[in-house]
Amino acid sequence: MSDVVESISPKSRDMAQVEALLHQEGIRLDQNLDYTCGIFDEDGKLIATGSCFENTLRCLAVSSAHQGEGLLSQIVSHLTEYQAARGNFRLFLYTKVKSAKFLADLGFYEIARVEDKLVFMENRRTGFGDYCARLAAARREGRRITSVVMNANPFTLGHRYLVEQAAAENDVVHLFVLSQEAGPIPAAVRKKLVVEGVADLPNVICHDSDAYMISSATFPSYFLKDSDEVVRTQAALDLEIFKKIADTLGIQSRYVGQEPTSHTTCLYNEVMTEKMPGMGLECRILPRKTVNGQVISASTVRQAIHDGKLESVRAMLPDTTYRYFAGPEGAQTVAALQAAENLIHH
Amino acid sequence: MEILKSATAGTLESSDCLITVEPGTGINLELSSSVMNQYGRQIKATVLETLERLGVANAHVTVVDKGALDCTLKARVECAVYRSCDASAANLPWGGVIR
Repeated sequence: MSDVVESISPKSRDMAQVEALLHQEGIRLDQNLDYTCGIFDEDGKLIATGSCFENTLRCLAVSSAHQGEGLLSQIVSHLTEYQAARGNFRLFLYTKVKSAKFLADLGFYEIARVEDKLVFMENRRTGFGDYCARLAAARREGRRITSVVMNANPFTLGHRYLVEQAAAENDVVHLFVLSQEAGPIPAAVRKKLVVEGVADLPNVICHDSDAYMISSATFPSYFLKDSDEVVRTQAALDLEIFKKIADTLGIQSRYVGQEPTSHTTCLYNEVMTEKMPGMGLECRILPRKTVNGQVISASTVRQAIHDGKLESVRAMLPDTTYRYFAGPEGAQTVAALQAAENLIHH
Repeated sequence: MEILKSATAGTLESSDCLITVEPGTGINLELSSSVMNQYGRQIKATVLETLERLGVANAHVTVVDKGALDCTLKARVECAVYRSCDASAANLPWGGVIR
């Protein structure tokens, strides 16, 4: 017989049961969830639960007294249907290493794992493989091959400086622009401004990061505040995936800008310095470029555009980025920035 | 029939299957099953035959099978395909291509 999967409102008293059940099964309740459901027994006690955030499934747990009854498959079916209803067919999830095999039975495939901590999975057998194959098509041989990963929100002379340094010291630079939509500047615009901004550097190749680098799937705490412990684990996972991408392209190192303000990025840089040497990758952290004694920062640029003071940050922007925001093409993005409230990365 | 948007049908419960159809070029079938060794070929044949009967020539189809019978597979595939072109609400060709 099939039990009823019920949705659980974040404000209801049942949420306390969700937290207790997760705790009992050794899982922490995620702070960022946009849908939660559960199965109750006859006495109204929660015996299985699962949640979503964007295109990911989260916080899946079945009470140990009810394991082996097929409750997880009902939860995952329900969440898959819910995701389909809001247009998400490509799903990702994290799970504990020992639970990965159950999710593998439900059509999820492993992308990467942090040993003893978690396994990252997607519901496409060849999702990550296809992404790597697309990257491999742009593979270029060289003695020194490096990489830069940037959100470029928007592309500044600081980003340009990092890429220039990488391009000068290496034969090939693979430049990844985050594909995750976050904030008022659309990903397509960010990518376009990067491509235009590095067009004169012949050894730089631009790529999309897809969902596999610093996305809401791999690294949700980059976009929404969470505890340091969570940030570190997710950063470690992000680097495990990066390692696989690096192997595909023969990347030996990664250039990173020093981070004076954003706490999360600072932690991410710390994890990179710790983990990358062990993966056979060099992590080069460069000091931030300054102009007129002020550190160039995309946050500052966003704030200035928000305040209608684009001219005040002109010295921080390459011509291509400045022209976009000053011209008619960027009018819509400027309007979105001006309407936005919080522009500073936590 | 042409697959216009992604759609799913079915569940992951025992004796059922979850079918996802998405726009694609040619027929691309991604199958996983709890009884792959015993019935993998039969499941594949049933899904492909159902798609052909519905006149679907281009689709990316994901099947997560949990031991569904052939009739279940057929029904789930038909449902997903009709949902994918918003034709599942009315005038289904019962007795026509849906047998």
